[in-house]
Amino acid sequence: MNSLNERSLIEMNRIRKPICVALIALSGMTMAAEEQAPRAVVERLHETLLEAMTRAEQLGYEGRFNLISPVIDDSFDFNTIARIVTGRYWKDTAPAQRDSFKNVFRKLSAATYATNFSGFSGERFETIQTEKSRRGVIVKTALVKADGEKIPLTYLLRGNDNKWLIVNVIAQGISDLSLKRADYTAVIKKEGFDSLVNRLNDKITAMLRGS
Amino acid sequence: MRNSNNCGNINTNKKSLRGTHIMVDLRTRSRVSLACLSLIILAGCSSTPSTDSGDPHESMNRTFYAFNDTLDKTFLEPVAKKYADIAPDPVRDGVTNFFDNVGSLNTIANDLLQGKMGRFVGDSGRLIVNSTVGIGGLFDPATSLGLERHEEDLGQTFGTWGANEGAYLMLPFLGPSSYRDIGAPVMGILLNPLTYLAPVVTVPLGAVNAINSRANLLDATRLRDQAALDPYTFVREAWRQQREFQIYDGNPPGDGFEEYIEGEGEAAILRVY
Repeated sequence: MNSLNERSLIEMNRIRKPICVALIALSGMTMAAEEQAPRAVVERLHETLLEAMTRAEQLGYEGRFNLISPVIDDSFDFNTIARIVTGRYWKDTAPAQRDSFKNVFRKLSAATYATNFSGFSGERFETIQTEKSRRGVIVKTALVKADGEKIPLTYLLRGNDNKWLIVNVIAQGISDLSLKRADYTAVIKKEGFDSLVNRLNDKITAMLRGS
Repeated sequence: MRNSNNCGNINTNKKSLRGTHIMVDLRTRSRVSLACLSLIILAGCSSTPSTDSGDPHESMNRTFYAFNDTLDKTFLEPVAKKYADIAPDPVRDGVTNFFDNVGSLNTIANDLLQGKMGRFVGDSGRLIVNSTVGIGGLFDPATSLGLERHEEDLGQTFGTWGANEGAYLMLPFLGPSSYRDIGAPVMGILLNPLTYLAPVVTVPLGAVNAINSRANLLDATRLRDQAALDPYTFVREAWRQQREFQIYDGNPPGDGFEEYIEGEGEAAILRVY
């Protein structure tokens, strides 16, 4: 008994080292993969935006909207975002209201991108750094203008091995989530949840008209 | 860490949202507005604190916001748009550079107050280079020499010393501010050489600066008008975050998400309000 244990211990020791090395190597690889996937999500979004910019006139507003829309649906965690931007009012809303809010919010996001990325003057996107945060992965990027001026854009993504999704964009220090949450909860508080949905719909209509 | 009462914040570079409502430039304004400021502080102190948004003076602030907005939409914005249409970019850059340069003594003094010696030396170098080689500040050769432009003010200095916002204030003519930031324009005016010139020079220069500054904000206000449902709340939130961004020199702590999540990793849950 004893000698058997001893032998297996010796055996174990002999193989432990390589196993450790392999584990370390593996964990290093998963770390890299963990940061690679979120980075790819952001870069795909940026490539799409750049395409919308360079082909802006040919595509028109609707073309840009249609180009950007599926990528956005694929890249943002709208379930989480919807809960955050409606703050404490979320839990008092009916499933149908939640669905209509998520729906209008998706459309609004695509419309906003289609409106603002509507021309090209030599800009490019640059991924600066990808780092793990306590709550996900942070991808630091910048929109670099032709004259070299950099507009910092920081993305926070949450996810797992299969799927990483954007939950927040911080542009020049301004967090999109915080801004929308303050704005939207102010409207819900004053006018109610359905009014928020209606007013976001009006915003989409205004962007379409202004295009 | 973001302060617990969502106070504590920051502000801007020249094209940012800060001062979405600058009606007249801070640096060249007259003493009348200083009197206004102290009145507002007094008025602010007498209103009742309340609300969960850290904005105890909201009703007064909204009144001034509406006032500024009317003034802006009626006079300043249309003039700024005209100016932006007419003035070629090099002219606009020159005007912006000139007023940045004369206002940079304020930045330099606050570098010193914040103990940022590297910036103090760099920003002083900028002032010297741009005032001379840059022909009175019309050009900005310092940036090409690697002396990056910074903007510091007394509110940021108090922020780096640990002061919270205190309470948000919307000032008539001046736009967003707070208890912490209200001294900043005063110091900016006192340290601006233009303040000490004859009114016949100061007043027209102030007007040019106001129009040019507003023109630099046209993109920011377009985004506000496009996105905001409640512009007052939108501007307050944007201003607060930019202020924090500035106090931390572009590297605020946290990931901008900690306030929404409890716990870490897989176990993290959204905080329910």
